[in-house]
Amino acid sequence: MNEVAIVGTGQTKFSKENDDIEKLLFESANKCIQSTKNCNSDDIEGVIISTNDNSKYLGAILSETMDIQPKISHSIEHLCSSGTNAIISAYAYIASGLSDLVLVSGVDSATNPGQVLEWDKSRGDLEHPIYWASMLTKLHKTKFQTTEEELAIVSAKNHKHAMDNPLAYSNEPRTVSEVMNSKQITDDLRILDCSRSCSGSSSILLASKEKARKISEQAIWITGIGQKTTSASFTKNILEEIKSTRIAADFAYKMAGIEPKLIDVAEVHDAFSVCELMAISELGITAEDESGKFIRDLFNTENRMINPRGGLIGAGHPLGATGISQTIEITNQLQGKSEKRQIPNIETGLIHNMSAAGTSSSVMVLKN
Amino acid sequence: MTFFEEQLEQGIFQISYCKNCNNTFWPPKEICYTCDKKIDWKESKNLGKIIEFSKKDSTYFGLIEIDDGIRVLGDISCFNEPKIGQSVKMTVSFHNKPHYSFIVENN
Repeated sequence: MNEVAIVGTGQTKFSKENDDIEKLLFESANKCIQSTKNCNSDDIEGVIISTNDNSKYLGAILSETMDIQPKISHSIEHLCSSGTNAIISAYAYIASGLSDLVLVSGVDSATNPGQVLEWDKSRGDLEHPIYWASMLTKLHKTKFQTTEEELAIVSAKNHKHAMDNPLAYSNEPRTVSEVMNSKQITDDLRILDCSRSCSGSSSILLASKEKARKISEQAIWITGIGQKTTSASFTKNILEEIKSTRIAADFAYKMAGIEPKLIDVAEVHDAFSVCELMAISELGITAEDESGKFIRDLFNTENRMINPRGGLIGAGHPLGATGISQTIEITNQLQGKSEKRQIPNIETGLIHNMSAAGTSSSVMVLKN
Repeated sequence: MTFFEEQLEQGIFQISYCKNCNNTFWPPKEICYTCDKKIDWKESKNLGKIIEFSKKDSTYFGLIEIDDGIRVLGDISCFNEPKIGQSVKMTVSFHNKPHYSFIVENN
């Protein structure tokens, strides 16, 4: 199996405005190609689009716009984890030898249709994610004595990190007290506990080892991949856990040949504050009854190990772009290019991206 | 509209199951994936228990388990705060989307 490297990245700013997705796609893809030395559009053999948008034939449209005539082009939709799933597909094309250089571009508009899964009749008319998030939060508070303050720290921390991310939708500082006093959505959820659907685009260029040597001086390697889908219906979930994340992480760690304790930096899928607490324990970064304390300690010591980009809560959540943006953050961190957000002396990073209340999760391990 | 949705509109929650394989399908299916035969339907007993709940504005909502381990999300009506494990009675309807409502028994 060929080794696969990340050799280029490009992103737009995330925004609450409903921008045109073709314009966004072109902007991030163009920046991505320009970020890679000695790479021309006609070197690109694959173009994969990650989106929840209903637009058709975006792989071919972006290819034509960029003057690319790829061997492989298509779109991938997997709700909120479309981005990492598109990267995993590109990885497979390169690892198998079908392609040497693949552009993966994710995009969504702020009003994208991926926020509601109509197929899931078990949700009745309570389709919005706030309903499952409220119950997960309530159960976490009951089972692990997680406090309102610990939940608020997740959001305050991620907003603080986002202040140093010029592409984040939010650059406003949010104190723990502000989060705790923000608008109550349900008895167990406040508005600042929620990530926000945004428009935005992120692109990444993957290459085989041979190609990476020619076009990149600082390639970052994908060493572990795990993906697990346990169901499509939210109501098949056991509320106490995100089983798909635990299994996907196990696959990824085994493939990378590492233990969770070696993770130096992680972007995790904080769709809601409670998701970050659940994710870091399912990923084996901390014990499940200590996740609140773990995040509090990071916050108090200004350690940016978890969600240095600002996570979904701070940076925004353009569904199809999110997993790619998370991967770009870890890539930049491992290249030492994260400027104010840079975590010193790191070698190994992790990306965790999930869909539909954690019914599906993707985990990737990167190394420099 | 599907048969399941038409029946919801009539106030009936139909459960799809396979007589051959003894499998219940939720969300409902038309064909059994094990034996490939058309599934059968049976009416729910409309009784359930609360797995978890929260409250939005002044309305409780929750995850409820009904027949054969089927779980649905719906509103919960009660005088006092509901409790996990409490028995509830279900009513259903359909207006573009399914709607499941629960009343706490002996609340």
